[in-house]
Amino acid sequence: MTFNEKSAWIMLAALLVSGLSYAGAVANLSADLGQLAPPSVPLLIKFTVVLILISIVGHALIAALRPGDTNDRLDEREQRVHDKAGNWSGIVLGFGVIAALVNYLAFGNADLLFYGVFASLFVAQLAEYVLQLAMTKLAS
Amino acid sequence: MVRKRLPFTNRVRELREAHGGMTQAELGDLIGVTRQTIAAIEKDRYSPSLESAFRISRVFGVELEEVFRWCDS
Repeated sequence: MTFNEKSAWIMLAALLVSGLSYAGAVANLSADLGQLAPPSVPLLIKFTVVLILISIVGHALIAALRPGDTNDRLDEREQRVHDKAGNWSGIVLGFGVIAALVNYLAFGNADLLFYGVFASLFVAQLAEYVLQLAMTKLAS
Repeated sequence: MVRKRLPFTNRVRELREAHGGMTQAELGDLIGVTRQTIAAIEKDRYSPSLESAFRISRVFGVELEEVFRWCDS
């Protein structure tokens, strides 16, 4: 497995852990309030910190295990995979944001708009890493 | 998901092994790609760029057509 593949796995794990914990926290808050909780800056900060921490620790681990691999640039095959995955990620983001906007136009709920856009970002990034790993596997 | 079949095949593995048992990693380093990319080329799962194809043939000291062959079928 190349360093870039390992990196994609780490980022996927980081996104899933931080994203699911954020979603859980919002769900609990909403349950306590009896309605969708407004976006909370402290929760967002916590999500960001968890994401960054897992990313740093994960990358430090894989770098420590194979220090020689860390300076590897993407080769032509990896670059093609990254470009394709990035392209699809952009499409996912676009669809998600449009859906969130349409939802806002229909229901006028600004909190839902925020969560919709945030979720689109999250899903698009997840999709990018999943596609990178899947396309790398298919091309090997 | 069905993989698209490449319209050509290659002798990269054969030539590599004939060159003093060169490893995939060594060949990758010589032409500027990863070991995994060399493995994918040898398994006909990846179509290398023209530059990489030429670099491979130059490493083995043969013409491009001696490394890569178009399949008419």
